[in-house]
Amino acid sequence: MHLSDLTRKIRAGERIGREEGLFLMQNAELLQLASLANDIRFRKNPAHRVTFVIDTNPNYTNVCNVDCIFCAFYRHPGAPGAYTHTVEDMLRRFREAADRGVTTILLQGGVNPELPLEYYLELVRRTVAELPGVHPHFFSTSEILGMAEVSGRSTVEVLEALWKAGLRTIPGGGAEILSDGVKRKISSKKGTSADWLRVMREAHRIGFASTATMMYGHIEKDEEIIEHLDVIRDLQDEEHGFTAFIPWSFKPGNTPLEKVIPRYATPTRYLQMIALSRIYLDNFPHIQASWFSEGKKTGQIALHFGADDFGGTLLEENVHAAANFVNRSNTEECIQLIHESGFAAAQRTTLYEILRVVEPAEAVA
Amino acid sequence: MIEEIGFRDRRLIPIWEKVRRGQRLTFTDGMTLYATDDLISLGQMAHAAQQAKSGDAVYFAVNQKIEHTNVCVLSCSFCDFAAKKGEPDAYELTTEEILAKLSPDVHEVHITGGMPPDWPWERYLDIVRSIRNALPQADVKAFTAVEIDFFRKKFKMSLEEVLRALKEAGLKTMPGGGAEIFSERVRRLIFNQKIGARAWCEVHATAHRMGIPTNATMLYGHIETLEERLVHLVKLREAQDRTGGFLTFIPLAFQPGTTGIKPPDRFTSAVDDLKTIAVSRLMLDNFPHIKAYWVMLTEEVASVALNFGADDIDGTVGGEKIAHDAGATTPMALAKDRIIAIIKEAGKIPVERDVYYNALRIHSHEVVGKIPYLNSIPFYARFTKHRFKILPVAPRRMGLLSRQGSIDAGPFSLMDYFAQEENLELMDWCIATRDQVKSVMLFSKEGWRDLEGRVIGITDDTATSVHLLRVLLAKKYGVHSRFQRLHAGVNDWSAYSAVLLIGDEALRRNKEGLPGFELVFDLAREWYQWQKLPFVFAVWVARRSLDGAAKEQLREILTRSLESCYDDFVPVAGPHGRQIGLTDPEIQEYLAGFNYRLGDRERKAMEIFRALVEDLSPVNRSLEEGR
Repeated sequence: MHLSDLTRKIRAGERIGREEGLFLMQNAELLQLASLANDIRFRKNPAHRVTFVIDTNPNYTNVCNVDCIFCAFYRHPGAPGAYTHTVEDMLRRFREAADRGVTTILLQGGVNPELPLEYYLELVRRTVAELPGVHPHFFSTSEILGMAEVSGRSTVEVLEALWKAGLRTIPGGGAEILSDGVKRKISSKKGTSADWLRVMREAHRIGFASTATMMYGHIEKDEEIIEHLDVIRDLQDEEHGFTAFIPWSFKPGNTPLEKVIPRYATPTRYLQMIALSRIYLDNFPHIQASWFSEGKKTGQIALHFGADDFGGTLLEENVHAAANFVNRSNTEECIQLIHESGFAAAQRTTLYEILRVVEPAEAVA
Repeated sequence: MIEEIGFRDRRLIPIWEKVRRGQRLTFTDGMTLYATDDLISLGQMAHAAQQAKSGDAVYFAVNQKIEHTNVCVLSCSFCDFAAKKGEPDAYELTTEEILAKLSPDVHEVHITGGMPPDWPWERYLDIVRSIRNALPQADVKAFTAVEIDFFRKKFKMSLEEVLRALKEAGLKTMPGGGAEIFSERVRRLIFNQKIGARAWCEVHATAHRMGIPTNATMLYGHIETLEERLVHLVKLREAQDRTGGFLTFIPLAFQPGTTGIKPPDRFTSAVDDLKTIAVSRLMLDNFPHIKAYWVMLTEEVASVALNFGADDIDGTVGGEKIAHDAGATTPMALAKDRIIAIIKEAGKIPVERDVYYNALRIHSHEVVGKIPYLNSIPFYARFTKHRFKILPVAPRRMGLLSRQGSIDAGPFSLMDYFAQEENLELMDWCIATRDQVKSVMLFSKEGWRDLEGRVIGITDDTATSVHLLRVLLAKKYGVHSRFQRLHAGVNDWSAYSAVLLIGDEALRRNKEGLPGFELVFDLAREWYQWQKLPFVFAVWVARRSLDGAAKEQLREILTRSLESCYDDFVPVAGPHGRQIGLTDPEIQEYLAGFNYRLGDRERKAMEIFRALVEDLSPVNRSLEEGR
């Protein structure tokens, strides 16, 4: 295999396979990857702008029985520091967020075996009814698997009930690395790779849109990263339900994995992931730079590596904060960071409809 | 080999053409580079320019910063570090306190600080001397031009007197701070207490003449314009043309802190930081290195900058205070293993360096050495980096690294091949001369026979030429001289009777002349006239332990590289040759004078030389070993 042939193929807009993806990942220089990724990014999204969403990321519970060894957020039922908020409490928080201009609420929690399905349905129903300006973006596949278990229903039935309650999109968390070799080791009880893909397929068939994520930088091999990209690309070919792909690096602080992997992956690795995913996932409309998880400056640079979305303003975020990785921002700063990177900033909805475009006041050096 | 770039901004293409040809960029080119939205193509251009200079190497030092005092007679508006004597946070370290702070594993001690009103001159010399005595493996890099200027005024000495005393005390190099931005407009507004461009350049030029290499900086991201940044770069480039004494250029991102010049949270953007690194690399074509100083840039940006033209990430920096007082959010030190991981993940070779940028250790494998001279360029025309990483390193250093097992293949200096023969496999290529070489030159004040008992300065780079010189002196002319190694970088050679230079420096000096040394001898010609044989300076070798497939691949690459320039060396070697001031016909003539095939005559010449060297008395240790 020759890099120059592969480069030509990608520039011509052709799809690359697993072996080619691996070869590219291991042999292309960082900026070669970026250049190829930019070609695709501007072909798909020609406007010289970067989107963002005003959102918040609260949690309704940190009680969880999955025991992922990469997580510093969860508590066992009854453990000190464990909490579960009532529906009323959550609605109050949502209302406060809405008053501050939030349009998307990304809600996730632990997998709490004591919560009935009705709790989740009520959260959705009341959010839709009481806060018409807010889009609920609730519950990862792990929680949906948990709901099915608690209620004795199938995941399809749970998803249909959530749809009926008014939910239209779900977040793409819980994917980690979709390779059972990895998933079994780091999150054995969170479902297999096949479970994640199945729930997503079922959701997309019902009509849900979702994102897809990847958490790298722990025990995975390069081959498993490619496997991850490949299986979600296949699913996207079938159902077209993914809006965006969001990679982020494992944050070892306060987790059981910290002893094995004491440091998080370098920014170079993150940029490589952004570019590689833009090249490989040729059927994904958007790649999101998760700047809150990697640092503002890395996020800014990622906008030149194939990412066209800057994620959310995240007025509240607890999971990364639990791993001592704190990086909050607000709308004004988010826009400024995008402008400094040389792009217009466009506020979007959860479904990537543009609400407004803020042009930079002046060219930034 | 320079790859194709997928330009999104077509205005960059003519500039890229210049870079490929080794032509100098103009002020206007610099403005176009800064104005582009095509950050990635800009980065690729700078990366290619960097690779031509330092291959896949990224330099770091196990170093420590000492700020001996924060008491300062100046009151600069942009500084949160300085204090006045008697203020609660003012401190002044004694020599003993400084020594107690130093860790024994450092190779570079960087000293800068405030300018206190009442320290005697001897106190500064004592600090330098004491560190040199306490830590023999560490070199002292000390005092910015601003401090040197302060010393000469305060102690009523000439610049030369100040620098000579410091050099004798053990100072090896100087940092580049205090340049700020070369603009009178900005200086009047915020740096009015600093010395300004002319005085800064005068201090550095004097240091270079006296054999003290220095660094250069630019403070950006405050109130300066892009034009002022480019004026700064062009002035530095001109200064380097005159002396060649700068080692590395360090763009410093302004840290707003509570300085009042900018709001405390307005740091430079990542895109501005990366553009500045890339533009610096492209504009400063005569600077060996560009530093991504992580303390100012953040670890995030510094690590990415290694693919945007930077080949230097400073080091572990134990105890940096000035930038942190101004709100820098980076940790106070980076562990050596984190630095190594960052460099490796950027796809590069972590090179642990000394104060002169000599490679002390490398942390990588499958490394192919490259002699960083014009005469070696033809070997590297077809190298792609998939398999081998390229480390440009002077011949003698390549031998020293090979002794650590760190170089897997390369054109080894003949003496290093002789010394390490049992671990090395000879390949089919060499660097041999036919009759003359033009790049292994003895610049002398005396004729051969008058060098008896005289001291000859020997470039730090040479492993074989120095032995050729010994053979010629002893066996051809019956003369015995003494040798002293120069350090890497600029030197003051006025005290020597003759100076042996090799490589690009010899080529350049051969063309321009070396003031004070009227006689110039080409050692290969001397050898040829005597032995009627070529002289083999280097032979291509591979480590015996390197696996067979890798060796085969290497052979293929080398064959293709040389084939690509059989008829005409200029397309391959032109960019390098033009950068050292040669015309295309000169480049062609110079390279056509080499024989790159190791044939029977070359093998015979090697053996004759081996016998002659073995017959000589052993050389003193300082020639064999080097720090």
